[in-house]
Amino acid sequence: MSPDPNLITRHAPVDRVFHWITALAVLLLLASAFLPILGLKFSWLPLHWITGVVLGAATLFHLVRATFFQRLRCMVPRPRDFSDLKNGRRAAKYTLAQKLMHAVLGTAILVAVVTGFIMLAKVDTPLWQRNPYLLDASTWGVVYVLHGAAALLTLTLTMAHVYFSLLPEKRGYLRAMIGGQMTRDEAAVYHDPQRWSGQRKDDPRENHR
Amino acid sequence: MEILRITRDAWGQETLEGMSWDLLPVAFGLGIAIIIGHLVWRALRKRRSAPPPAP
Repeated sequence: MSPDPNLITRHAPVDRVFHWITALAVLLLLASAFLPILGLKFSWLPLHWITGVVLGAATLFHLVRATFFQRLRCMVPRPRDFSDLKNGRRAAKYTLAQKLMHAVLGTAILVAVVTGFIMLAKVDTPLWQRNPYLLDASTWGVVYVLHGAAALLTLTLTMAHVYFSLLPEKRGYLRAMIGGQMTRDEAAVYHDPQRWSGQRKDDPRENHR
Repeated sequence: MEILRITRDAWGQETLEGMSWDLLPVAFGLGIAIIIGHLVWRALRKRRSAPPPAP
């Protein structure tokens, strides 16, 4: 069966699997962090650190893949994105809003992962014994503040991210994150087909600018 | 409202414990504010771009 010419590929299967693993991990981490604070008592720590390790592995995978196997610059906000928005020009593969959301949420998750891995030194696991004296008390305090601030920011941005993904006019993006594809008409609302037409990065016609 | 959790250790020294969890409803409220703010902006934009009623 030949592929539907009206459909374009936005996300490769590996990127979609990464996204949904990350999404599930973030939701479990937010729930295991904040529900006990709200009074729902359960043994949150094993769920939290094991999910944190999964998120850390997923983040590392994404960093390597985005840096060496994808076009990193097509996701970085640049001055041109602001002038495009101002002048009503359509975006390439990612809109300015998508780039900014990715930059801020990605940074928050990265800070939470790095500080979380440091905090693993305080947890007894089958793989290592706890060493609470790895850092002095004031440095632990800074680690906790960064972890907590990243978690709070992640909560706010996750709410916004889920809301935007459910808007009827953005439904194409949600479908693309589930099935990989969106229609050319959906893409053309926000994306200039001259700058992003859904081809692979090794296609010479694709410039992602 | 506290921003940070600070306790005193056994020697009376102040120790940083992390972010204050008073900020949890603030983070949640900010998420709700973004959603409501965008819904209002979206509705106003839609109304502005709607064609004028037929005579």
